[in-house]
Amino acid sequence: MATKPTKDVIDQKVGIQDTDNSLTGALRVKEDHPVIYPLSLPENDERQATPAVGQSATRSDARLHGLGQTQYIDDIKFPNMIYAKVLRSERAHAKIVSIDVSEAEAMPGVYATVTGKEFPTNSFGPTLQDQPVLADTVVRHFGDGVAAVAAVSEQVAQEALKKIKVVYEDLPVVLDPEEAFKDEILIHGPKSNTYASKVIKKGDVKKALAKADHVFTNRYKTQFVEHVPIEPHASIALWDGNGRVTLWSSLGRITLGREDISRTLDIPQSKVRMIGTIVGGNFGGKNEITNEPILALLSKKTGRPVKCTYTRGDEFVSSTIRHPFIMDYTTGINNDGKIVARKIRMLLDGGAYCSWTGTTIGKGSILAAGPYNIDNLQVESFAVYTNKTTTGAMRGFGAPQVCFAYESQMDEMAHALGIDPLTIRLKNTFREGSLSPTSQTLHSVVVEESLLQASEAFGWNRG
Amino acid sequence: MLVELKVNGEKRSADVPPETTLLKFLREYLDLTGAKLGCDVGDCGTCTVIVDGLSVNSCLMLAVKATGSNVTTIEGLANNSELHPLQKTFEDLGALQCGFCGTGMLMSAKQLLDDNSDPTDFEIRDALAGNLCRCTGYTKIIAAIKDAAKILRA
Repeated sequence: MATKPTKDVIDQKVGIQDTDNSLTGALRVKEDHPVIYPLSLPENDERQATPAVGQSATRSDARLHGLGQTQYIDDIKFPNMIYAKVLRSERAHAKIVSIDVSEAEAMPGVYATVTGKEFPTNSFGPTLQDQPVLADTVVRHFGDGVAAVAAVSEQVAQEALKKIKVVYEDLPVVLDPEEAFKDEILIHGPKSNTYASKVIKKGDVKKALAKADHVFTNRYKTQFVEHVPIEPHASIALWDGNGRVTLWSSLGRITLGREDISRTLDIPQSKVRMIGTIVGGNFGGKNEITNEPILALLSKKTGRPVKCTYTRGDEFVSSTIRHPFIMDYTTGINNDGKIVARKIRMLLDGGAYCSWTGTTIGKGSILAAGPYNIDNLQVESFAVYTNKTTTGAMRGFGAPQVCFAYESQMDEMAHALGIDPLTIRLKNTFREGSLSPTSQTLHSVVVEESLLQASEAFGWNRG
Repeated sequence: MLVELKVNGEKRSADVPPETTLLKFLREYLDLTGAKLGCDVGDCGTCTVIVDGLSVNSCLMLAVKATGSNVTTIEGLANNSELHPLQKTFEDLGALQCGFCGTGMLMSAKQLLDDNSDPTDFEIRDALAGNLCRCTGYTKIIAAIKDAAKILRA
């Protein structure tokens, strides 16, 4: 099966770009290099046979869950274990003039403290390494870690945080992504707040919009969402006498985590052992390290295992959350309900650090037009830094946000044109062999069947 | 402060600082880690245990306050030979996914069924109002409690 239009452009950039608009690292579909997917899949009996469908299955770990015997991180303790707490910024954007931990260190029951300057490489991140383990020069959001304490108990560690003196010099704050997009206040370095973008072009949107019977322009916005796993982030570090560090963590991606540990602590990966235990809810929020390097360093300093469990407050202010999107949809549609063109501009609130924005802007953009055949399409997406909680992975990586926009506009158009909302969808929906906005030929497409069966089941046409 | 109480039928005691919550007492002094710490402010219910026949958020109750009480935790739900019907139906119907809220859910459900052998959907929802789950969407949990009630009535 061949791919069709070769004039399409898919251009994704992550990282602050130079003004020359270079396409370094970008993915581009060119005439001479069409993307050809291995799409002629065998449709044999074996593939059709799905013995698992219709069967009831139980989780293999459910027995221990129900007995209360599953060991999550917080259920694990080691001899001589001590507890860490992280001091978090109460400023949204400020220069750190000084951090004085001496009083905290002198407190009875406190074993060690650590600040950002002590990390060999004070940055990490799954896409861009733009996030400090502990902020050492600038705090970029309320909740940025600035120092940590390890003590005999959580309570003593919490008390010791109050004795740490941080002198800040406030910087102007930018909270609105539209404002951030103007680059008047810069959050990371001198270039731009825009740190990721994606463009998808297909057909001629301008011409098609001009010819369409109706043009609808709507703006849709979504909000921050915290994952709220019932198990807060937790980890334990033990730096042993042989220079090896073992980490027990609620992290979902342990190999990626090991890279970050190795990088921030400047030790080879062969000296890092990551143990991912059973996770009490992830939803995308436990896809990157948080305070693992801090605990490792505190363990190195004290020779003891160090545990840190986030409070619910830590969870809200310092773990990642879902990207809010501002989505402008301009859609050209004919009297018969056929969509002829769609122009989309999206602005993602990226928060203080990149985290999984690269994946989110990519997926969000590819899916932004919806499961509909639209010959003339233009999607332009940008992600900007703001002085807010870092936005990262959360179930769907941008897909739920754009779904809210395109389905809302479908309903608004159906209402305005007096067309049944089901009919307007059936008129435009993907069918077997349809091309996705990025020219992938789609197989096993059952949108139409699903819509018809679902509407039948809930009685859509029965009034 | 000396705290003496009965946990799952056994007499237990420990000398703890006065601010120790019942949750901390169970987890850190008795090594009963089935009750979990989720929010520490009584919102999520994953720390639920039964104290003298009432389900409580053990993160909000001081251990001292439970002196002399009869406490049932998740560890006391099954006996050596069989699961409690709730544990069985939760497992069979997929009411436990990550499992972190599960032990608290099970304790709230147990207290409900102790008091009401044939609860309606509304009564089940009401009994679980203080227990949050982010995985299941509650449907299977409610179905599992109804099934367990049926088994217990038989």
